[in-house]
Amino acid sequence: MKVTIAAERCTGHGRCYNIAPVLFSDDERGFGDITGAGDVAGEHEEVARAAVAGCPEHAVVLNS
Amino acid sequence: MGDSTVETSSFRLQDAPMTRDRTAGWAYVRGYGEVFEGDGAWYLTSADAVQYAQQHPELFSSARAFDSLGSPLPLIPIAMDPPDHVGYRRVLDPMLAPRVINAMEGELRRQLGVLIDAFVERGSCDVVADFARLYPTQVFLTLFGLPLEDRDQFIEWAEFIIEHAGVAATEPNEQVAAVSGQLFGYLQQCVEAKRRSPGPDMLSRILALRGESAWSNEEILGLCFLLTLAGLDTVTAEIGFLLFHLAKDVDLRRRVVGDPALVSPLIEEVVRLEPPAPIQPRVTTTDVDVAGIEIPSGQLVNLVVAAANRDPARFSSPNTIDLDASDRGHFGFGGGIHRCLGSHLARRELRLAVEEFHRRIPDYELAEHADPEVVWPSGTLHLKELPLVFTARPKP
Repeated sequence: MKVTIAAERCTGHGRCYNIAPVLFSDDERGFGDITGAGDVAGEHEEVARAAVAGCPEHAVVLNS
Repeated sequence: MGDSTVETSSFRLQDAPMTRDRTAGWAYVRGYGEVFEGDGAWYLTSADAVQYAQQHPELFSSARAFDSLGSPLPLIPIAMDPPDHVGYRRVLDPMLAPRVINAMEGELRRQLGVLIDAFVERGSCDVVADFARLYPTQVFLTLFGLPLEDRDQFIEWAEFIIEHAGVAATEPNEQVAAVSGQLFGYLQQCVEAKRRSPGPDMLSRILALRGESAWSNEEILGLCFLLTLAGLDTVTAEIGFLLFHLAKDVDLRRRVVGDPALVSPLIEEVVRLEPPAPIQPRVTTTDVDVAGIEIPSGQLVNLVVAAANRDPARFSSPNTIDLDASDRGHFGFGGGIHRCLGSHLARRELRLAVEEFHRRIPDYELAEHADPEVVWPSGTLHLKELPLVFTARPKP
Protein backbone atom coordinates (compact mmCIF):
# COMPACT_ATOMS: atom_id res chain seq x y z
CA MET A 1 0.00 0.00 0.00
CA LYS A 2 1.06 3.56 -0.65
CA VAL A 3 0.09 6.79 1.09
CA THR A 4 0.01 10.23 -0.55
CA ILE A 5 -1.05 13.77 0.39
CA ALA A 6 -3.14 15.68 -2.15
CA ALA A 7 -1.25 18.99 -1.92
CA GLU A 8 -4.15 21.01 -3.36
CA ARG A 9 -6.38 19.90 -0.46
CA CYS A 10 -3.87 20.03 2.42
CA THR A 11 -4.26 23.21 4.50
CA GLY A 12 -1.88 22.30 7.32
CA HIS A 13 -4.09 20.85 10.07
CA GLY A 14 -1.13 18.62 10.97
CA ARG A 15 -3.21 15.63 11.95
CA CYS A 16 -1.36 13.11 9.75
CA TYR A 17 2.06 13.54 11.33
CA ASN A 18 0.57 13.53 14.82
CA ILE A 19 -1.50 10.40 14.24
CA ALA A 20 1.11 8.54 12.14
CA PRO A 21 4.57 10.01 12.71
CA VAL A 22 6.08 6.88 11.19
CA LEU A 23 4.57 7.81 7.79
CA PHE A 24 4.38 11.63 7.87
CA SER A 25 6.46 14.56 9.06
CA ASP A 26 5.85 18.28 9.46
CA ASP A 27 7.37 20.78 7.06
CA GLU A 28 8.49 24.26 7.99
CA ARG A 29 4.94 25.64 7.60
CA GLY A 30 3.43 22.84 9.67
CA PHE A 31 1.98 21.11 6.62
CA GLY A 32 2.30 17.34 6.20
CA ASP A 33 5.06 15.61 4.26
CA ILE A 34 5.42 11.96 3.33
CA THR A 35 8.47 10.35 4.91
CA GLY A 36 10.34 8.33 2.31
CA ALA A 37 8.46 7.01 -0.72
CA GLY A 38 5.15 6.60 1.06
CA ASP A 39 5.20 2.79 1.08
CA VAL A 40 3.12 1.44 3.94
CA ALA A 41 4.35 -1.74 5.57
CA GLY A 42 1.70 -4.19 6.78
CA GLU A 43 2.27 -3.28 10.42
CA HIS A 44 1.55 0.38 9.65
CA GLU A 45 -1.69 -0.09 7.71
CA GLU A 46 -3.90 0.58 10.72
CA VAL A 47 -2.19 3.85 11.58
CA ALA A 48 -2.28 4.86 7.90
CA ARG A 49 -6.05 4.38 7.89
CA ALA A 50 -6.28 6.47 11.06
CA ALA A 51 -4.38 9.28 9.31
CA VAL A 52 -6.84 9.12 6.40
CA ALA A 53 -9.79 9.32 8.82
CA GLY A 54 -8.16 12.07 10.84
CA CYS A 55 -7.56 14.49 7.97
CA PRO A 56 -10.37 17.07 8.01
CA GLU A 57 -9.71 18.00 4.36
CA HIS A 58 -9.66 14.40 3.07
CA ALA A 59 -6.20 15.15 1.71
CA VAL A 60 -4.54 11.90 2.85
CA VAL A 61 -5.07 9.07 0.36
CA LEU A 62 -4.23 5.40 0.79
CA ASN A 63 -3.93 3.26 -2.37
CA SER A 64 -3.49 -0.48 -2.58
CA MET B 1 -28.89 15.89 1.59
CA GLY B 2 -32.65 16.52 1.63
CA ASP B 3 -35.23 19.21 1.11
CA SER B 4 -35.59 21.90 3.68
CA THR B 5 -39.20 21.52 4.73
CA VAL B 6 -38.90 22.88 8.26
CA GLU B 7 -40.55 26.22 8.89
CA THR B 8 -37.56 28.43 9.71
CA SER B 9 -39.30 31.71 10.56
CA SER B 10 -39.37 30.64 14.23
CA PHE B 11 -35.60 30.12 14.36
CA ARG B 12 -33.75 32.36 16.79
CA LEU B 13 -30.13 31.54 17.45
CA GLN B 14 -30.47 32.94 20.97
CA ASP B 15 -33.28 30.44 21.66
CA ALA B 16 -30.97 27.43 21.26
CA PRO B 17 -30.96 25.70 24.70
CA MET B 18 -27.20 25.96 25.00
CA THR B 19 -26.37 27.10 28.54
CA ARG B 20 -26.16 23.69 30.25
CA ASP B 21 -26.25 21.26 27.36
CA ARG B 22 -24.59 21.82 23.98
CA THR B 23 -26.00 18.54 22.66
CA ALA B 24 -29.50 19.99 22.95
CA GLY B 25 -28.33 23.42 21.80
CA TRP B 26 -26.74 22.29 18.53
CA ALA B 27 -29.56 19.79 17.91
CA TYR B 28 -31.95 22.77 17.99
CA VAL B 29 -29.91 24.54 15.29
CA ARG B 30 -29.49 21.41 13.16
CA GLY B 31 -33.21 20.69 13.49
CA TYR B 32 -33.99 23.52 11.06
CA GLY B 33 -32.13 21.73 8.26
CA GLU B 34 -28.66 21.48 6.82
CA VAL B 35 -29.10 24.73 4.89
CA PHE B 36 -31.65 27.31 5.97
CA GLU B 37 -32.35 31.02 6.25
CA GLY B 38 -33.50 32.46 9.55
CA ASP B 39 -32.79 35.12 12.15
CA GLY B 40 -31.16 37.43 9.62
CA ALA B 41 -28.63 35.05 8.09
CA TRP B 42 -28.17 31.74 6.32
CA TYR B 43 -26.98 28.72 8.30
CA LEU B 44 -25.02 25.68 7.14
CA THR B 45 -25.19 22.88 9.71
CA SER B 46 -24.13 19.60 8.06
CA ALA B 47 -20.55 18.39 7.67
CA ASP B 48 -20.90 18.30 3.87
CA ALA B 49 -22.34 21.82 3.62
CA VAL B 50 -19.80 23.38 5.98
CA GLN B 51 -16.92 21.67 4.22
CA TYR B 52 -18.20 22.76 0.80
CA ALA B 53 -18.19 26.40 1.95
CA GLN B 54 -14.75 26.11 3.57
CA GLN B 55 -13.25 24.63 0.43
CA HIS B 56 -14.77 27.24 -1.93
CA PRO B 57 -13.52 30.65 -0.74
CA GLU B 58 -14.26 32.02 -4.23
CA LEU B 59 -17.99 31.48 -3.49
CA PHE B 60 -17.93 32.11 0.26
CA SER B 61 -15.87 35.25 0.90
CA SER B 62 -14.28 36.20 4.21
CA ALA B 63 -13.43 39.77 3.16
CA ARG B 64 -16.63 41.40 4.45
CA ALA B 65 -17.67 38.69 6.87
CA PHE B 66 -16.06 40.18 9.97
CA ASP B 67 -17.33 43.77 9.71
CA SER B 68 -19.29 43.37 12.96
CA LEU B 69 -16.01 43.32 14.89
CA GLY B 70 -15.61 46.97 13.96
CA SER B 71 -11.87 46.79 13.37
CA PRO B 72 -10.54 49.98 11.77
CA LEU B 73 -7.63 47.94 10.37
CA PRO B 74 -7.53 44.93 8.03
CA LEU B 75 -8.00 41.73 10.04
CA ILE B 76 -5.08 39.75 8.65
CA PRO B 77 -5.44 36.97 7.54
CA ILE B 78 -8.96 35.97 8.64
CA ALA B 79 -10.84 38.64 6.68
CA MET B 80 -8.90 38.15 3.43
CA ASP B 81 -9.66 36.20 0.27
CA PRO B 82 -7.31 34.67 -2.30
CA PRO B 83 -4.98 35.73 -3.76
CA ASP B 84 -3.95 38.20 -0.98
CA HIS B 85 -4.63 35.61 1.72
CA VAL B 86 -2.06 33.17 0.30
CA GLY B 87 0.85 35.57 0.70
CA TYR B 88 0.03 36.36 4.32
CA ARG B 89 -0.30 32.71 5.29
CA ARG B 90 3.01 31.83 3.57
CA VAL B 91 4.67 34.30 5.93
CA LEU B 92 2.65 33.50 9.06
CA ASP B 93 2.34 29.70 8.93
CA PRO B 94 6.08 29.07 9.55
CA MET B 95 5.97 31.39 12.57
CA LEU B 96 3.34 29.20 14.23
CA ALA B 97 4.52 25.81 12.97
CA PRO B 98 5.07 22.91 15.41
CA ARG B 99 8.87 23.20 15.23
CA VAL B 100 8.67 26.83 16.42
CA ILE B 101 6.34 25.87 19.25
CA ASN B 102 8.65 23.03 20.35
CA ALA B 103 11.19 25.69 21.29
CA MET B 104 8.64 27.43 23.57
CA GLU B 105 7.53 24.33 25.44
CA GLY B 106 9.89 24.56 28.43
CA GLU B 107 9.00 28.18 29.12
CA LEU B 108 5.26 27.50 28.79
CA ARG B 109 5.49 24.59 31.26
CA ARG B 110 7.35 26.82 33.70
CA GLN B 111 4.66 29.51 33.51
CA LEU B 112 1.89 26.93 33.96
CA GLY B 113 3.63 25.65 37.08
CA VAL B 114 3.66 29.13 38.61
CA LEU B 115 -0.03 29.69 37.83
CA ILE B 116 -1.21 26.34 39.20
CA ASP B 117 1.08 26.36 42.25
CA ALA B 118 -0.66 29.58 43.29
CA PHE B 119 -3.81 27.64 44.25
CA VAL B 120 -2.70 24.06 45.05
CA GLU B 121 -2.68 24.78 48.81
CA ARG B 122 -6.21 26.24 48.72
CA GLY B 123 -7.90 22.95 47.84
CA SER B 124 -10.24 24.79 45.51
CA CYS B 125 -10.09 27.04 42.48
CA ASP B 126 -12.14 28.62 39.76
CA VAL B 127 -10.43 27.22 36.69
CA VAL B 128 -11.63 30.12 34.55
CA ALA B 129 -10.57 33.03 36.77
CA ASP B 130 -7.47 31.54 38.40
CA PHE B 131 -5.87 29.81 35.47
CA ALA B 132 -7.58 29.59 32.06
CA ARG B 133 -8.07 33.34 31.79
CA LEU B 134 -4.42 34.19 32.51
CA TYR B 135 -2.37 31.60 30.66
CA PRO B 136 -3.27 32.27 26.97
CA THR B 137 -2.41 35.96 27.30
CA GLN B 138 0.94 35.03 28.85
CA VAL B 139 1.56 32.72 25.88
CA PHE B 140 0.75 35.55 23.46
CA LEU B 141 3.07 37.95 25.30
CA THR B 142 5.79 35.28 25.29
CA LEU B 143 5.33 34.58 21.56
CA PHE B 144 5.60 38.31 20.82
CA GLY B 145 8.45 38.91 23.26
CA LEU B 146 6.44 41.36 25.39
CA PRO B 147 6.63 41.81 29.18
CA LEU B 148 4.43 39.45 31.22
CA GLU B 149 3.71 42.38 33.59
CA ASP B 150 1.39 43.76 30.89
CA ARG B 151 -0.85 40.70 31.23
CA ASP B 152 -3.70 42.04 33.35
CA GLN B 153 -4.07 45.31 31.43
CA PHE B 154 -4.00 43.38 28.18
CA ILE B 155 -6.70 40.97 29.39
CA GLU B 156 -8.90 43.87 30.49
CA TRP B 157 -8.81 45.48 27.04
CA ALA B 158 -9.24 42.22 25.11
CA GLU B 159 -12.15 41.00 27.24
CA PHE B 160 -13.96 44.30 26.93
CA ILE B 161 -13.67 44.32 23.14
CA ILE B 162 -14.70 40.68 22.80
CA GLU B 163 -17.66 41.08 25.14
CA HIS B 164 -19.00 44.23 23.51
CA ALA B 165 -18.24 43.60 19.84
CA GLY B 166 -18.65 40.52 17.71
CA VAL B 167 -21.78 38.61 16.79
CA ALA B 168 -23.99 40.24 19.40
CA ALA B 169 -23.20 43.77 18.24
CA THR B 170 -25.62 45.40 15.85
CA GLU B 171 -23.96 48.79 15.46
CA PRO B 172 -20.55 50.32 16.07
CA ASN B 173 -20.03 50.97 19.75
CA GLU B 174 -18.21 54.10 20.95
CA GLN B 175 -16.87 52.42 24.09
CA VAL B 176 -15.46 49.55 22.03
CA ALA B 177 -13.82 52.08 19.73
CA ALA B 178 -12.26 53.83 22.74
CA VAL B 179 -10.89 50.62 24.25
CA SER B 180 -9.70 49.40 20.84
CA GLY B 181 -7.86 52.71 20.55
CA GLN B 182 -6.06 52.04 23.84
CA LEU B 183 -5.12 48.54 22.73
CA PHE B 184 -3.87 49.86 19.38
CA GLY B 185 -1.84 52.50 21.20
CA TYR B 186 -0.21 49.84 23.35
CA LEU B 187 0.49 47.60 20.35
CA GLN B 188 1.96 50.55 18.45
CA GLN B 189 4.37 51.16 21.33
CA CYS B 190 5.34 47.48 21.28
CA VAL B 191 6.02 47.67 17.53
CA GLU B 192 8.22 50.71 17.98
CA ALA B 193 10.12 49.10 20.87
CA LYS B 194 10.74 45.98 18.77
CA ARG B 195 11.92 48.05 15.82
CA ARG B 196 14.55 49.60 18.09
CA SER B 197 15.66 46.36 19.75
CA PRO B 198 14.47 43.22 17.93
CA GLY B 199 14.47 39.80 19.62
CA PRO B 200 13.90 36.17 18.61
CA ASP B 201 10.11 36.64 18.81
CA MET B 202 7.31 36.56 16.22
CA LEU B 203 6.73 40.31 16.19
CA SER B 204 10.42 40.97 15.50
CA ARG B 205 10.36 38.40 12.68
CA ILE B 206 7.45 40.20 10.99
CA LEU B 207 9.16 43.56 11.41
CA ALA B 208 12.31 42.11 9.84
CA LEU B 209 10.54 41.40 6.52
CA ARG B 210 12.11 43.53 3.81
CA GLY B 211 11.48 44.68 0.26
CA GLU B 212 8.28 43.44 -1.39
CA SER B 213 7.49 41.22 1.61
CA ALA B 214 7.65 44.07 4.14
CA TRP B 215 4.40 44.76 5.99
CA SER B 216 2.91 48.20 6.53
CA ASN B 217 2.23 49.45 10.03
CA GLU B 218 -1.52 48.96 9.44
CA GLU B 219 -0.99 45.34 8.41
CA ILE B 220 1.09 44.61 11.51
CA LEU B 221 -1.41 46.21 13.89
CA GLY B 222 -4.29 44.44 12.12
CA LEU B 223 -2.59 41.09 12.68
CA CYS B 224 -1.88 41.89 16.35
CA PHE B 225 -5.51 42.93 16.83
CA LEU B 226 -6.77 39.71 15.26
CA LEU B 227 -4.46 37.50 17.33
CA THR B 228 -5.74 39.29 20.43
CA LEU B 229 -9.36 38.66 19.47
CA ALA B 230 -8.92 35.10 18.18
CA GLY B 231 -6.06 33.61 20.17
CA LEU B 232 -6.79 34.37 23.81
CA ASP B 233 -10.39 33.79 24.87
CA THR B 234 -10.65 30.74 22.61
CA VAL B 235 -7.89 28.91 24.49
CA THR B 236 -9.32 30.17 27.80
CA ALA B 237 -12.66 28.68 26.82
CA GLU B 238 -11.20 25.36 25.78
CA ILE B 239 -9.18 24.87 28.98
CA GLY B 240 -12.47 25.38 30.80
CA PHE B 241 -14.27 22.79 28.67
CA LEU B 242 -11.48 20.23 29.02
CA LEU B 243 -11.37 20.42 32.81
CA PHE B 244 -15.19 20.58 32.94
CA HIS B 245 -15.56 17.25 31.15
CA LEU B 246 -12.73 15.70 33.18
CA ALA B 247 -14.25 16.92 36.46
CA LYS B 248 -17.71 15.63 35.55
CA ASP B 249 -16.61 12.18 34.42
CA VAL B 250 -14.53 10.31 37.01
CA ASP B 251 -13.80 7.36 34.71
CA LEU B 252 -12.63 9.64 31.92
CA ARG B 253 -10.38 11.58 34.29
CA ARG B 254 -8.81 8.46 35.83
CA ARG B 255 -8.14 7.05 32.38
CA VAL B 256 -6.46 10.25 31.16
CA VAL B 257 -4.46 10.78 34.38
CA GLY B 258 -3.30 7.16 34.20
CA ASP B 259 -2.24 7.38 30.55
CA PRO B 260 -0.94 10.82 29.50
CA ALA B 261 -0.87 9.63 25.87
CA LEU B 262 -4.65 10.09 25.99
CA VAL B 263 -4.45 13.85 26.57
CA SER B 264 -4.16 14.59 22.84
CA PRO B 265 -7.10 12.33 21.86
CA LEU B 266 -9.13 14.00 24.62
CA ILE B 267 -8.31 17.44 23.24
CA GLU B 268 -9.48 16.41 19.74
CA GLU B 269 -12.76 15.12 21.10
CA VAL B 270 -13.46 18.12 23.34
CA VAL B 271 -12.57 20.59 20.57
CA ARG B 272 -14.93 18.65 18.29
CA LEU B 273 -17.81 18.76 20.79
CA GLU B 274 -17.15 22.19 22.35
CA PRO B 275 -15.47 24.33 19.68
CA PRO B 276 -14.87 27.78 21.17
CA ALA B 277 -15.59 29.45 17.80
CA PRO B 278 -18.73 27.48 16.94
CA ILE B 279 -19.97 29.68 14.10
CA GLN B 280 -17.77 31.13 11.36
CA PRO B 281 -19.17 33.76 8.97
CA ARG B 282 -18.82 34.11 5.21
CA VAL B 283 -20.53 36.26 2.53
CA THR B 284 -21.65 34.74 -0.77
CA THR B 285 -20.00 36.24 -3.86
CA THR B 286 -22.64 34.89 -6.27
CA ASP B 287 -25.81 32.77 -6.21
CA VAL B 288 -24.71 29.43 -4.74
CA ASP B 289 -26.51 26.08 -4.66
CA VAL B 290 -25.85 24.15 -1.44
CA ALA B 291 -27.62 20.82 -0.95
CA GLY B 292 -30.25 21.80 -3.50
CA ILE B 293 -31.05 25.14 -1.90
CA GLU B 294 -30.08 28.39 -3.61
CA ILE B 295 -28.43 31.07 -1.48
CA PRO B 296 -28.45 34.45 -3.27
CA SER B 297 -25.34 36.54 -3.79
CA GLY B 298 -24.25 38.92 -1.02
CA GLN B 299 -25.79 36.97 1.86
CA LEU B 300 -24.25 36.44 5.28
CA VAL B 301 -23.75 32.69 5.70
CA ASN B 302 -22.94 31.22 9.11
CA LEU B 303 -20.91 28.00 8.99
CA VAL B 304 -22.04 26.18 12.13
CA VAL B 305 -18.94 24.06 12.69
CA ALA B 306 -20.23 22.98 16.11
CA ALA B 307 -23.27 21.38 14.48
CA ALA B 308 -21.20 19.89 11.64
CA ASN B 309 -18.93 18.32 14.26
CA ARG B 310 -21.97 16.42 15.57
CA ASP B 311 -23.33 15.39 12.17
CA PRO B 312 -24.39 11.72 12.51
CA ALA B 313 -23.77 11.25 8.78
CA ARG B 314 -20.04 11.92 9.37
CA PHE B 315 -19.45 10.85 12.98
CA SER B 316 -20.65 7.75 14.82
CA SER B 317 -21.87 8.40 18.41
CA PRO B 318 -21.52 12.08 17.50
CA ASN B 319 -22.44 13.53 20.89
CA THR B 320 -20.08 11.62 23.19
CA ILE B 321 -16.36 11.79 23.92
CA ASP B 322 -14.72 8.68 22.49
CA LEU B 323 -10.98 8.55 23.17
CA ASP B 324 -10.67 5.53 20.91
CA ALA B 325 -12.14 7.40 17.94
CA SER B 326 -10.29 10.70 18.19
CA ASP B 327 -8.78 10.31 14.72
CA ARG B 328 -11.87 11.65 13.02
CA GLY B 329 -11.33 14.85 11.10
CA HIS B 330 -13.43 17.59 12.68
CA PHE B 331 -14.01 21.28 12.01
CA GLY B 332 -13.15 22.61 15.46
CA PHE B 333 -10.25 24.61 14.02
CA GLY B 334 -12.22 25.51 10.90
CA GLY B 335 -11.09 24.21 7.55
CA GLY B 336 -10.02 25.09 4.05
CA ILE B 337 -7.57 27.94 3.53
CA HIS B 338 -8.68 29.68 6.75
CA ARG B 339 -7.80 26.71 8.99
CA CYS B 340 -6.97 28.27 12.38
CA LEU B 341 -3.54 29.88 12.05
CA GLY B 342 -2.83 29.19 15.71
CA SER B 343 -4.10 25.61 15.79
CA HIS B 344 -0.67 24.05 16.43
CA LEU B 345 0.03 26.50 19.25
CA ALA B 346 -3.48 26.06 20.69
CA ARG B 347 -3.22 22.26 20.74
CA ARG B 348 0.15 22.52 22.49
CA GLU B 349 -1.13 25.07 25.03
CA LEU B 350 -4.04 22.79 25.84
CA ARG B 351 -1.92 19.64 26.16
CA LEU B 352 0.62 21.32 28.43
CA ALA B 353 -2.17 22.85 30.54
CA VAL B 354 -3.83 19.48 31.16
CA GLU B 355 -0.50 17.74 31.80
CA GLU B 356 0.76 20.34 34.27
CA PHE B 357 -2.62 20.53 36.02
CA HIS B 358 -2.75 16.75 36.46
CA ARG B 359 0.88 16.63 37.58
CA ARG B 360 -0.14 18.76 40.58
CA ILE B 361 -3.86 18.01 40.95
CA PRO B 362 -4.64 14.50 39.69
CA ASP B 363 -7.93 14.16 41.56
CA TYR B 364 -10.61 16.82 41.56
CA GLU B 365 -14.31 17.33 41.15
CA LEU B 366 -16.90 20.04 40.61
CA ALA B 367 -17.58 22.09 43.75
CA GLU B 368 -20.80 21.20 45.53
CA HIS B 369 -23.90 22.63 43.80
CA ALA B 370 -21.77 23.83 40.90
CA ASP B 371 -23.63 23.62 37.61
CA PRO B 372 -21.35 25.40 35.14
CA GLU B 373 -23.10 27.30 32.37
CA VAL B 374 -21.90 28.79 29.12
CA VAL B 375 -22.61 32.34 28.07
CA TRP B 376 -25.18 32.33 25.26
CA PRO B 377 -25.41 33.87 22.76
CA SER B 378 -21.72 34.62 22.50
CA GLY B 379 -19.17 34.71 19.70
CA THR B 380 -16.78 32.62 21.75
CA LEU B 381 -18.56 29.81 23.55
CA HIS B 382 -17.18 29.62 27.08
CA LEU B 383 -18.00 28.67 30.66
CA LYS B 384 -18.60 31.63 32.98
CA GLU B 385 -16.87 29.85 35.85
CA LEU B 386 -15.68 26.38 36.76
CA PRO B 387 -15.32 25.91 40.54
CA LEU B 388 -13.37 22.76 41.45
CA VAL B 389 -12.41 21.18 44.77
CA PHE B 390 -9.46 18.86 45.41
CA THR B 391 -7.14 17.77 48.21
CA ALA B 392 -5.02 20.74 49.24
CA ARG B 393 -1.26 20.30 48.98
CA PRO B 394 1.54 22.43 50.38
CA LYS B 395 2.84 24.96 47.92
CA PRO B 396 6.16 23.72 46.50
